[in-house]
Amino acid sequence: MGIKKVGLNRNVKPQSLIEKLFFLDFMKGLKTTIKHLWRKTITIDFPYEVSTPAIRFRGVHGLRNVDGTEAEDFNSWVKKLKIKPPEIGETRCIACKFCQAACPVPELFTIKAKKLDVPEDHPHHGLKVLDVFDMDLSKCMFCGLCTQACPTDCIIHTDVYDLSSYTRRSWVLTKEELSRIADDFIARRGKEKFDDKSKWRQDQQIWPDYDKPRAKAWDGWIPSYAPNYLKAKSTETSEG
Amino acid sequence: MSWIKLEKANKLKDKFDFVEVKDSNGYVSVEVPKEKLINFLEFLKSDPDFAFKMFIDWTIIDHGPKENPRFQGVLILYSPEHKERIIVKSWATDETLPTLTKLWPGAKWAEREAWDMFGITFEGHDNLVRMFMWEGYPYHPLRKDFPLKGYEEVELPSLNEVERGDQLEGMFNYSRMHTALPTLEDLEKTQKARLPQKKSQIVLNWGPLHPGTHGTIWFLFDLDGEYVKQCDIIIGQLHRGVEKIAENIGYQQFIPYTDRMDYIAAINENHAYVVAAEKMLGIHEKVPPKAKWIRTMMAELSRINSHLLWLGTYALDLGALTMFLYTFREREKIMDIFEGITGARFTINYFRIGGVFADLPAGALEAIEHFIEDFPQRLSDYETLLTRNRIWLKRNKDVCVLTEEDVYDYGLTGAVARASGVPYDIRMIDPYDMYSEVDFDIPVGDVGDSYDRYLVRIEEMKQSAKIVKQCIDKLKNDFTPDDPFFLEPEDPKKLKLSIDGRGLKLPAGEVYASTDNPRGELGFYIFNKKASIKPHRVRIRSGAFYNLQVFTKAIIGRPIADAITLLSTIDPVVGETDR
Repeated sequence: MGIKKVGLNRNVKPQSLIEKLFFLDFMKGLKTTIKHLWRKTITIDFPYEVSTPAIRFRGVHGLRNVDGTEAEDFNSWVKKLKIKPPEIGETRCIACKFCQAACPVPELFTIKAKKLDVPEDHPHHGLKVLDVFDMDLSKCMFCGLCTQACPTDCIIHTDVYDLSSYTRRSWVLTKEELSRIADDFIARRGKEKFDDKSKWRQDQQIWPDYDKPRAKAWDGWIPSYAPNYLKAKSTETSEG
Repeated sequence: MSWIKLEKANKLKDKFDFVEVKDSNGYVSVEVPKEKLINFLEFLKSDPDFAFKMFIDWTIIDHGPKENPRFQGVLILYSPEHKERIIVKSWATDETLPTLTKLWPGAKWAEREAWDMFGITFEGHDNLVRMFMWEGYPYHPLRKDFPLKGYEEVELPSLNEVERGDQLEGMFNYSRMHTALPTLEDLEKTQKARLPQKKSQIVLNWGPLHPGTHGTIWFLFDLDGEYVKQCDIIIGQLHRGVEKIAENIGYQQFIPYTDRMDYIAAINENHAYVVAAEKMLGIHEKVPPKAKWIRTMMAELSRINSHLLWLGTYALDLGALTMFLYTFREREKIMDIFEGITGARFTINYFRIGGVFADLPAGALEAIEHFIEDFPQRLSDYETLLTRNRIWLKRNKDVCVLTEEDVYDYGLTGAVARASGVPYDIRMIDPYDMYSEVDFDIPVGDVGDSYDRYLVRIEEMKQSAKIVKQCIDKLKNDFTPDDPFFLEPEDPKKLKLSIDGRGLKLPAGEVYASTDNPRGELGFYIFNKKASIKPHRVRIRSGAFYNLQVFTKAIIGRPIADAITLLSTIDPVVGETDR
């Protein structure tokens, strides 16, 4: 660590008389631009060519449904919050409002659960189901805190990014729309993002390996997706 | 920690009987009655044993409407000789304080802001007008009795409703009422108040919507021919009350808001806040080393990203369009890396109090390495185009020189201070995360003109690349995928630390921690009366704000064309100056 002095006459030579007379500085600059003239284009021809967002991309939210890949503690959460045990295809949301508590703009959520209207001898008597789950995405910062707070991995970010609309109303997504978005995303890229217990996969890739347009910006370079760390397991406790 | 030691502060007590010394986890502060404040500060500034020459920040804490006295001034100073900082506090009885502008001219804007936000009058200030709000605005918004949402008192229907007759009332999220808005007369009053005495014939308005101002800044130039005789700046068009929001929200929940301050270097903003909160909790040393290395690496990548944007727009402003296209190509790669690792390209929110929220995905280090290996070649291309180009030299050499004196008086930090020959870099003075482990040089300029500021930033990019390289090597060779990236507290009942941050409590006390943002020192001063899930007061010491202030001085006597060069080399981001 040290101090490096910079300045004209320190690390930059002033222009010499020959450079001034023969415009050598301009020549050098033109050489650089001409060199770049022969390089391949790096821009993507949107919308004819579209880059796929990274798997961690924080796009429009979705509400996942029960599909047999829940974490082990899912049933205990359902029991704890007195929610009717969901069937396959029903929402995972247990109306715990953790997402709202973690949100920097809590008023964007409207979450309500209602008691089931069943006779007393019914096994579901006294249990609740999710009634309203509205998200006003015009207030959303897409920070991802709600997805990290969710105990049942229900609310997720998808890779959908185009949500322009003509009315404020259409930015408010209901639970049906959110479910549809999540189902669509899970069908397309669920395996890429989540493991069989709905947690983030350990071997997520920085960009999808089938994303050819993105490689253009990198002059055709594609990573080999080798593991980041050379050591696989810690043999000794690492020192601070 | 570069802070004054308690023993040394106690010496002040022997010298002045009115001084009270307090210690909050090593952050020593002294309290002085306001009548004695100026004499005491004169001593602090001039005495060779203390020599607190450099102005860092000057702000107010509102202790709540029931307290008496209610407002307290908080001054943070730095001593370049002894490399330590100190907090000086003084109660603002009768809502007045003496002005510090005679000692540090840089206190001028800080006092305007304190008047604007808290309604504290500074006796002796030469033109105490509002900083962010307009003249005629009736409230002082950072006072505790001002509601978070403000007072909705102006009717402002949507044009769709007025012109097209759409029925919007009752529609989700729509209200006709709005908080106070400035009228054209208000703006005219604001403008007149800023330059109360015209010195020459023409007042030229530049901005607020001009591509050369890099955001919404409104400049007023009092011009004699082409030369500026007097200048002032009206900012606040992007003021969102981030400090007010911070006081009404949980600690972790505030991180996304810091993204939106300096949006060009969002990671560095997260970093400063996270480091401040960790220091307050006393867990900064315990954060897992893997998280620290990742944070250091990402912060330096973000610095390169920010400097590339600066270089591109700066060259564009001075007429070199090609640079803009070249630097944006490299920026695109960094944004791709950010997208892959964090999930967002711009407003990143990756750091957490206690680490980061996820480990690196496969291929991340590889991609960063590829970028860093390619980058020096690109940088030398830029330098071939600019550094020794005669037009570039003519536009930059000896333009708007800032001296070492200015750095201390105005609290200039970052590349602007370093170009003036002051090696002030928080990464070196008060190393956070892994900066004490990496090897890098601090570029220091010679003259302090625009050309030096350009060279310093170019060199900083090279040094950042060097740091990133060291981080990659370290991460690759020393860590395994199983190493933690987030701190698991020893006693989860005592310290509720989680990635989503619900229920995180910070203890009572105060902390001032800063990091070296691409735009200067970004400091967070957090003050808590008692342990709570929301801070009592968060003050954001913005480097861009204080660096922009010196513009009004450095431009005097220069032709109007230099305004663009000076503004570009100071490189403010309005999101951070306005907060």
